[in-house]
Amino acid sequence: MSIDPEMLMAYADGELGPIEAKRVERAIAEDPALAEEVARHRALRTRLAGHFAPVAEEPVPDRLAAMLRPKVIELPVRKRAASIPTWTRWGAAVAASLVLGLAIGHGLQDEGMVRTEAGQLYAAGALADALDSQLAANQGAVRVAVTFRNAEGRYCRVFTARAADGIACHDPQGWLLRQTHAAGTAARTDYVQAGSADARVMAAAQEMMAGDPLDADAEAKARASGWR
Amino acid sequence: MAAFEDDLLALLPRLRRFARALARDAADADDLCQVALEKALLGRASWQPGTRMDSWMYRIMRNSWIDTTRSRARAAQTFVDAEAGLGVGADGGAEARIALSEVDVALHTLPDEQREAVALVLIEGLAYKEAAEILDVPMGTLTSRLVRGRQALMAQLGEAA
Repeated sequence: MSIDPEMLMAYADGELGPIEAKRVERAIAEDPALAEEVARHRALRTRLAGHFAPVAEEPVPDRLAAMLRPKVIELPVRKRAASIPTWTRWGAAVAASLVLGLAIGHGLQDEGMVRTEAGQLYAAGALADALDSQLAANQGAVRVAVTFRNAEGRYCRVFTARAADGIACHDPQGWLLRQTHAAGTAARTDYVQAGSADARVMAAAQEMMAGDPLDADAEAKARASGWR
Repeated sequence: MAAFEDDLLALLPRLRRFARALARDAADADDLCQVALEKALLGRASWQPGTRMDSWMYRIMRNSWIDTTRSRARAAQTFVDAEAGLGVGADGGAEARIALSEVDVALHTLPDEQREAVALVLIEGLAYKEAAEILDVPMGTLTSRLVRGRQALMAQLGEAA
């Protein structure tokens, strides 16, 4: 009776049903070469499994584990070093605005930068214009520090204006204000304290962000397509 | 929602091991893991809770790997076309392979279709049926690839196997 190589292999792997296994066992009893082949199959499995087992014991690299941590559930791509320099720039932009003496607040409302629609606050006036048209790091009364996409895939921009800092996200009605922090009078005169104030906006943006902040090209493209 | 990520995280060590058997080296293997995880996160809607996540992920990873090797092959082809006239034809991977173990070298002499079958069954420990489903081939195809791959490995690794 002949046993084909596939069947012998399946026997070695415990993949045969009881009747076929019996057949193979009878053949093995008559032919030591078959028994040797089974032993070789099993030894190969042991050797390969043993060779690769340490990989599964290694600590998982951070960059992979980070993709699966709750904070970055929606992230589509790389989430790493890129965000750090962006925030450094943002910090620098805030610091620069402070040095220039942008301080002391009228509210955004007093400056005509806010409108309400369906009970929600949207950017208006100079703020809406800046959010629509300014690229990050442009100069102006309103500066845009960084642009990113949130979990819903909408474009959001972190802005800093004379009266307040905040985050606005684009929806069909315009720029919905998601976060605003009034520029405190005392804080704005002090470099260090101001830095800690913008940390709140920073932290909020980091929470909302899916993926990395947009780079200059992506931002220009997003602007060209009306932030949709 | 978080359960999905937690389950993936728990699978990650096995996924890295599978990737290591497919890819040429550890760095490529982790890049492959990253691509597969990105696809899994984006395609989470296609995951059916209650079914086996390991099979789902192995399949995503294997398909990612095929995509990667195909685009590599295209890139390599371009390179050869451009350089052929200059007589550059040596396999640049030859020196790198010296550092690899005997097992790695033997595994990488196998055709891809045999290597993936060997990896799923012998390294990942899956049943034939599970491996056949992941690779989307009939059982007979799986066993014939597997037996050919194993015989080649046993021949190369000799008595020590």
